[in-house]
Amino acid sequence: MGYLADKTVDVIRSTKSIGEGLGITFRNLFRPPITVQYPDERVKISSCFRGMPALLTNRETGELNCTACGICARACPLGIITMELGKDGKKRFPTSFSIDMSRCMVCNLCVEACPFEALGMSNRYELAETQHGSLVWDLDRLSRLGREHPASQVGQPARKGGEE
Amino acid sequence: MWASLAEQVRLQFETWGLPEWSFSLANSLFKALVILHFILLSVLFLVWLERKVCARFQNRLGPMRVGRPHGWLQTLADVLKLLVKEDIIPESADRWLFRLAPVLVFVPSMMLFVVIPFGPGMAVYSLDVGLLYLVAVTSISVLGLIMAGWGSNNKWSVLAAMRTAAEVITYEVPLALAVLGVAMLAGSLNLERIVEAQAGGRWFILVQPLGFVVYLIAMTAELRRTPFDLSEAESELVAGYNVEYSAMRWSFFMLAEFGALVGFSGVAVTLYLGGWHGPWLPPVAWFLLKTFGLILFIMWVRWTLPRIRIDQLMDLGWKFLIPVALVNIAVTGVYLVVM
Repeated sequence: MGYLADKTVDVIRSTKSIGEGLGITFRNLFRPPITVQYPDERVKISSCFRGMPALLTNRETGELNCTACGICARACPLGIITMELGKDGKKRFPTSFSIDMSRCMVCNLCVEACPFEALGMSNRYELAETQHGSLVWDLDRLSRLGREHPASQVGQPARKGGEE
Repeated sequence: MWASLAEQVRLQFETWGLPEWSFSLANSLFKALVILHFILLSVLFLVWLERKVCARFQNRLGPMRVGRPHGWLQTLADVLKLLVKEDIIPESADRWLFRLAPVLVFVPSMMLFVVIPFGPGMAVYSLDVGLLYLVAVTSISVLGLIMAGWGSNNKWSVLAAMRTAAEVITYEVPLALAVLGVAMLAGSLNLERIVEAQAGGRWFILVQPLGFVVYLIAMTAELRRTPFDLSEAESELVAGYNVEYSAMRWSFFMLAEFGALVGFSGVAVTLYLGGWHGPWLPPVAWFLLKTFGLILFIMWVRWTLPRIRIDQLMDLGWKFLIPVALVNIAVTGVYLVVM
């Protein structure tokens, strides 16, 4: 009888555990799916999400903050930032500026190095391009990105006189 | 209704002066086509359903992109892909066995439908030894599986085939024993008589709960579905006996698997769940409703339980299901004598 009793206990126990398992999956059946159908839907990203760098514009004057000093280019561990200096009297500005996004690792070092609040990390994370050349972002696209993403200025430490 | 329609067609054939056998041929061909289309359509639906149900159990969405809403054209797209894929036969394979196996696996699952009564008088052939026929036919497919495993000349597929053979042969026994209880109660092996014996809500699941549980477990094992999917355990055996198959030959295995799922569920409904009986709806609708309900339950079990080991599988079959099925028969016998 000992054997039979053991078996019976076994059966009851396993039936109970199978029932519990079925209950768990049943509860999950009615939970809303957590899938985000990416190209159609997007996850809401945090306002301080760090994407690719962008050139920031002074909101009042509508001009770039950049003075083409080259500190960011020196700070970049990969050396992928290039620029050319243009002068208009005392004013200094970049005539060209580029970041090679095929190599950029979004490390934020250029932004930290910049003494003029001219660079900021935007929240753009979709970096795929259809042509090789487009991976190198030029002055025009970088400054447009800086204007498109006002959120890119949030969370940057203000070093100069709190103009923000 | 069906019988009278067939009779009219037969008379029409006679007025055209066609011989008697031509009607029989046309009749069988028509029935075979209907059954084949029923299987194909339900498999088309079930593969999609399986993926959807599995996804929802795991808080995912499943196929969404092919056909709106909810990717209902997904399986159709898969079939089209399988049709145009390259058919590969390995160089070292036994070509005859390799080619024959998918067909031999699929045919028995189609043969199941011959005796299943979809409604009153709606079985393809109302066989008087229907139950015996079912038990006999279901054991053929294991030959095809062994042929596929051996013919591929691949160690994984041979391992899977050996497991399949052990599993199917083991669970054949409790399946037949469980079914015996129903036959004793109904006093007939004809599936239509068995359903008629369950009229008025006297479903056999109420008097044969033990038999139903044994049948359900043995059926899941026969279908080689989780938790008994040792023969196609992806994590151990790559894919199972069909590793070397591609394109349409591969999809035949899939077709056989899901076809057998519908077939076995249909048999379970016929034997235990009152077949076509039910209020308001037409008999065929009740039969299909119950069948697909049972399939949903089997899917639910599949996405809940983990796979068991081969020794546990043998244990469960020989040391638990067979004794339980025998007890069930004994109790049924005593009940019949006493009542």
